[in-house]
Amino acid sequence: MRTLRRYRIFLFTLPAILVIGMFFVYPILLSLRLSFTDFTGVGIASDVGWKNYERIFTRSRYLDAFKVTIFFTVIVVFIQTIIGLFFAALLHRLPAVRNLCRAALFTPAMMSFVIVGYVWQFIYSPFNGGLNAALASIGLDGLQHNWLGDPNTALFAVAFAHIWMFIGYTTAIFLAGYANIPSEIEEASKLEGASNWQRFRHIEVPLLASSFTINITLSTIGTLKTFELPFIMTRGGPDGATRTLSLHIIDSLFGKYKFGFASALSIIMLILVVLVAFLQNRYLRSREENT
Amino acid sequence: MRLRHRISGWLLSAMVLIMVAFILLPVFYMIIMSFKSGAEIAQNPVGLPESLNFDNYRNALSKMNYTRSVLNSVGITLSVTVLVSFIGSLAAYPLARHTNPLARALVLLMALGLSTPNFVTITPIYVIFRDIGLLDTYLGLILAFTALNLPLAVFFYTGFIRGIPIELEEAARLDNCSEFRIFWHVIRPLLGPATATLSLFVMLMVWNDFTYPLLLLTDESKFTVMISVYRFVGNHNLSPSDLFPAAVLGSLPLLVLFLFFQRRIVSGVTAGAVK
Amino acid sequence: MKRFFYQSLPLVCAGALLASAPVAHAVTLEVTAWKGNDSEPAAIPDLIKKFESANPDVSVDFSYISRTDTDIVLPPRVQGDNPPDVMMTDMPLVKVWGDAGLLAPLDKGEWFDRLTPPVQAAINTGDEIHIMPLEVIGMGNFVNMDLLRQVGIETPPITIDALKVACTKLDEAGIKPMLFPGGFSAPLYVIANGLEAAPQESSALGSGEQLFSESEAFIGTLETFSDLADAGCFDPEIQAGVDPWSTALSEFKAGNFAMMAQGAWNIASFSEAENLDFVFAPIPSSKESGVALDLFGIGWSIAAKSDQPDAAKRFVEFFTDNDNLHDMLVAESAYSPFVDGQSGVSQVAAPYDAARDNGGTIMFPFSVLEWPKPLESEIFDSMTGYLLNLDKDPADVLSRWDEIIEDQ
Repeated sequence: MRTLRRYRIFLFTLPAILVIGMFFVYPILLSLRLSFTDFTGVGIASDVGWKNYERIFTRSRYLDAFKVTIFFTVIVVFIQTIIGLFFAALLHRLPAVRNLCRAALFTPAMMSFVIVGYVWQFIYSPFNGGLNAALASIGLDGLQHNWLGDPNTALFAVAFAHIWMFIGYTTAIFLAGYANIPSEIEEASKLEGASNWQRFRHIEVPLLASSFTINITLSTIGTLKTFELPFIMTRGGPDGATRTLSLHIIDSLFGKYKFGFASALSIIMLILVVLVAFLQNRYLRSREENT
Repeated sequence: MRLRHRISGWLLSAMVLIMVAFILLPVFYMIIMSFKSGAEIAQNPVGLPESLNFDNYRNALSKMNYTRSVLNSVGITLSVTVLVSFIGSLAAYPLARHTNPLARALVLLMALGLSTPNFVTITPIYVIFRDIGLLDTYLGLILAFTALNLPLAVFFYTGFIRGIPIELEEAARLDNCSEFRIFWHVIRPLLGPATATLSLFVMLMVWNDFTYPLLLLTDESKFTVMISVYRFVGNHNLSPSDLFPAAVLGSLPLLVLFLFFQRRIVSGVTAGAVK
Repeated sequence: MKRFFYQSLPLVCAGALLASAPVAHAVTLEVTAWKGNDSEPAAIPDLIKKFESANPDVSVDFSYISRTDTDIVLPPRVQGDNPPDVMMTDMPLVKVWGDAGLLAPLDKGEWFDRLTPPVQAAINTGDEIHIMPLEVIGMGNFVNMDLLRQVGIETPPITIDALKVACTKLDEAGIKPMLFPGGFSAPLYVIANGLEAAPQESSALGSGEQLFSESEAFIGTLETFSDLADAGCFDPEIQAGVDPWSTALSEFKAGNFAMMAQGAWNIASFSEAENLDFVFAPIPSSKESGVALDLFGIGWSIAAKSDQPDAAKRFVEFFTDNDNLHDMLVAESAYSPFVDGQSGVSQVAAPYDAARDNGGTIMFPFSVLEWPKPLESEIFDSMTGYLLNLDKDPADVLSRWDEIIEDQ
């Protein structure tokens, strides 16, 4: 009787289970089912067995998209974490401007991907874009470049816009981590005469371990899923240099009408994201416990 | 010594302010450019406009269906917030108060929802919606956004309810209240701050999300702000005198809101991440 | 108060989101197209007015949807219960939607017999026809004659040799000879020259019967890229990533480049530019005529689930009238799909006309379903990649095309 009563309260979770079931569990199962068909999005689907998966693994272009996705993620996560930590460490030492700067850095995150994409696309544009014009006006014509038109710089250019957008997030989370550092520890180290750098390196960074975990996990998942910025800025070009997995999925869905194939790609993507999130979390948590 | 310390502090502050201003440059650039005519941009892609000229805005407003799409975004945000906060807090209550295999399984389910990319589910959702007639409806989009925000809401409320002293409920239990009445009359009234923060999340996401409304809505009168911006700019071959005013109009409401509630938004978003 | 707020919120939202029903007109016909906006009006707004005054019981509700967005926006609608009644389509769309039974079969009226042979063959592949062709439009070489005259050239180059000569002269005079983006212009050049030189039918290449990577014609065409670059025609790396749909158009319009391969639908917009004296010529090729790459790119289709089939039919019929269609052809600078239809092409395109008269016409293979649509974007990508690195082996570049064919 009592156990029944204890479980009866879980009826409260029923609506949530229904929603998650309808929008996550069932779609994933349906995706899995569709990924073995040649469904075009209109009409009827017929089974094709493992053909879609075989395509993905025998065509270099999907491997390239996989590489682009991973590389983009690595660039963004690494640089964003470093810059965010840098700003947080500075602002922590400057209470007078801390809140102002924290808010200012956060502003780009209030804009949407679509708008950030369009604005940066114009900034980067080759013939009269803001960046090239600015370089020319300070006499650095030699540095002018077709930023989004050159495969060597396109991915970095898109990544930079992404980092610009979320740097405020990273900084704010690190600052929250700083706020949790007990003030006695800080005072003690100051009395010991530790320099700023020593305090940063040996006290703050280890104590910020959980902020590192949160930042890296959040930005990794967010970046792996990225779609809007390359979609708006380059449509995956030039020659696939910025074509991430999610862009491939959209391309296959619309215009090519390959729903079955897109489903197979998205299953691969799900496995990738879950795997990365799981491994990363395990590694970061174990590091946290060791410090 | 003290003085030197203070001066170096000022210098450092000034340096940081300059760096931050530099990061904000693109935002200012967007606003400055939105007042320039196409010809002016071609001649002078950087630098201030010759005059505060609102022609671009007039043109964009007349073609963008702006007011309607702002109302759509606001309506959808409110509906999603109501649904998410109700379903989410209801599910969070037992998870916060009990630990058993069932609760652990549910937490795993929510974690799956949290890490699933939109793209994995968009194809099947599109097909499901097509079959049950939810494509191009407000209801479909509201349900999809509710699902997207729900896992986070459940975690968020679970953490929050754990912070509520259990004694409050014990007293009600002695009066033989049903569990639902306890939740409704004891717990729910205390959730205000959590709901406020959560609604900020929902607002950010609904306002800025691009994928779902792009694929699920086709009727112009139902467009959210971002889709209006995307269609408007895309249909005019990215001409800068259309692009910049549309970008400003698309981000203005949130930027203004941010000016007023910046502290709450930053700490809310951070708290949500840290929990 | 707070409680009242929570309880009333859903009601308020529902109220806010209920759109007011439109006032009923006699019959409202919904029409979508990727022409008819400010930059490519194609006379559609005027023709709709003309149609409405001839058919007072019908009011047309027109919306512009770009070609790219068409793939995203329309499939759910044609499969749902509220499709647009009449939609602008092209053959790739007709193939997918028509095969799935989403388009209404059209009667082969007298207009069908008037179609030019290549267009008639293109739409008449299955048991039924689902599209009423509107135009055939040229894709050729825009040439800025002012810049050419500055180096003493009086006629647009229509052979590869003449092109190289022009490039060298322009380059020496400090004028940028060609805009050659990998995203459109370079592919047009390759498709035109490859098909001109290939002994096979273009459908043999599209079906995989003949591999691109083993086609001497296409390999040879790719090899000419290096010759053109050596002749100073373009700096391939700078050209590769230029956006052919925005940056390239405004650059040519501003008179910054002497030549650019693009579609005749830009003639109207280029004619607006002051001091731009240009002609529309065929794509330079190895033959004397040059290649006139004709695109059958647009037509009207009626949705199978349209609830106004009669009004929709009348709307489509309206465009089969040569006089009505002529307005559109003039605005577009296009040719009529009908044998007895007058072309809307202006004097600017005289060199292109000449190429058509001299047997230089090639139908753009995607627009008549000889090549599968997914190959198009792969060609754009691979040409961009090839321009960025001309040392690549052309056969390797072309094997990417074969992969796509194989994937169909």
